[in-house]
Amino acid sequence: MAHSAGIVRLMQIFTQLSESIHANLIAGDSYLYILSGLKVTLLITLAGLFLGTLLGAVLCAMHYSGSKAVRFAARTYIVVMRGTPILLLLMLLFYVVFARTRLDAIHIAIIAFGLNSAAHIAEIMKAALASVDPGQVMAARTLGFTRLGAFYHITLPQAGAYARPVYQNAVINVIQWTSVVGYITIADLTRVINATGARTADPFFVIFLGIVIYLFLAYATHLLFTLAGRKTRTAG
Amino acid sequence: MIKVENLSKSFGGLRVLSGVDLEIQKGECVAIIGPSGAGKSVLLYCLNALEKPDSGRVTLNGVDITDKRTDINKVREKVGMVYQNFHLFSHLTVLENIILAPVKVRKLPRAEAISRACGLLETVSLLDKKDSYPDQLSGGQKQRIAIVRALAMDPEILLFDEPTSALDPSMVGEVLAVIRALAKQGFTMVIVTHEMNFAREVADRVLFMEEQGVYESGSPEKILVNPEREKTIAFIRKLKTFNYKVDSYNFDLIGMCARLELFCAKYAIEKKQVNGANLALEEVITYILKYCYEKPRQPDINVTVEYGDADKKIAVEIAHDGKSVDPFGKVSASAGGAVDPDYLGIFMVKKMSAEIVFSHADGLSRFKIKI
Repeated sequence: MAHSAGIVRLMQIFTQLSESIHANLIAGDSYLYILSGLKVTLLITLAGLFLGTLLGAVLCAMHYSGSKAVRFAARTYIVVMRGTPILLLLMLLFYVVFARTRLDAIHIAIIAFGLNSAAHIAEIMKAALASVDPGQVMAARTLGFTRLGAFYHITLPQAGAYARPVYQNAVINVIQWTSVVGYITIADLTRVINATGARTADPFFVIFLGIVIYLFLAYATHLLFTLAGRKTRTAG
Repeated sequence: MIKVENLSKSFGGLRVLSGVDLEIQKGECVAIIGPSGAGKSVLLYCLNALEKPDSGRVTLNGVDITDKRTDINKVREKVGMVYQNFHLFSHLTVLENIILAPVKVRKLPRAEAISRACGLLETVSLLDKKDSYPDQLSGGQKQRIAIVRALAMDPEILLFDEPTSALDPSMVGEVLAVIRALAKQGFTMVIVTHEMNFAREVADRVLFMEEQGVYESGSPEKILVNPEREKTIAFIRKLKTFNYKVDSYNFDLIGMCARLELFCAKYAIEKKQVNGANLALEEVITYILKYCYEKPRQPDINVTVEYGDADKKIAVEIAHDGKSVDPFGKVSASAGGAVDPDYLGIFMVKKMSAEIVFSHADGLSRFKIKI
């Protein structure tokens, strides 16, 4: 008897699951809605990181500037940005700074994540550059390399190898922090998951699905970085 | 070939070089010796503009490298440099280390650069390491690769900055052999070194640096064997002696023995003799600490070890200002089995020494032991 009761229970679970899939993903092409949220999350992440990496490189270069004022500006920026919660920064830009412009909320989010990640990325770059043995750069210069040549052939590959795992963490952090952009009306992955769950009154399935997607993004990032790092060696 | 005129250089307020003049001919091998901080490396670094002199001129093959208009990168291609700490590119294999500059700077075709690199690697017998990374090599191997990397640019001048100072003593030989072979090929070389025997063997001229410049220079024989000026004499003499001061009851015995062994290794002294010297130091110092000093008085024992080239004996001198006791007088070599256990060590020292002299004068007791 217990045996058949188990089978009945299993059947029930399957029925529930297929109902959940139908309600949350298939009915009314709901999966397209979730995909559109994923697209927004990816867009903010990638564009924000692109902006953050450029700005981070500028901040890092400012750190090596001869002018005290420039170095101070870079340091101040980094301290302030690293200490400011990204959500408050988003709200500041959305409700105050760009409130009167026609700038799209997604663009504001990209700017916010760019500004925020730049501070972290600048720190990563600084640490990576500091890890390169200056003796090797000097050795390259004595072999006839120009300053730029030595940077390109010696400093950059070694600093890159050093920075890769830390940068990977920064990327995953940005992916996860983009989940707060719903606060400024953006329909990102988290927000569409929330909306779908509310609509179908079946939040467990769709929230679980959301976690799996974020997990997949983190894993894919890890995979990409591992592939990119396979050819080059870390300094040793 | 290399001409240095009135070169001066300071760091902060500290004057390192002042009015140095120096001329080095093509094919000449010059060794620079001197105490640390005498500006040996700074002078070397000025020769390829790694350091900018405050005043004066450095001319290589008639090109003034202190002139701002000179393309220093072009000049450096012709000046090879080998560092104390190798500075191999850690992200590249041995082969890539060697061909990087020929391919990227001299624009040599890659295949040609590789075949030349392999030829050079063969001459230092490291061809089978060409795909290794620097961190997989020993210090001696790294330094040989660093020399090959410099040679791959076809330099006219080779500069060596203490090429064996960072090496384990067992690896010094393999690196010196390579440099020796280069000297035979007639490279123009400037070597900053602490290896006096090596300098004596390969150099055409030795410069002793002190007092912010070249203090004395001349043939290796003149500088290393018969120096004339006061500081050179003191420096050369100090090199030939090992000094140690014991000023605590718990002195670093193992550290002292290790340094003594290092000193003995420089002169290729027989193992038996080295052990003898170690034993003599250990036993006599232990005895002195036990019987000649009483707490709370701090001991003051000075050890000097010298190696005689002529009689091939190690001369150990131990002087102390404690109570004057001669333990060697208390043991007789013929005592046989009836030795006081406290004096067993002293007895052993007496047995293996060629000569022991004890003297006492002006409150200082001296042991002179020849082994």
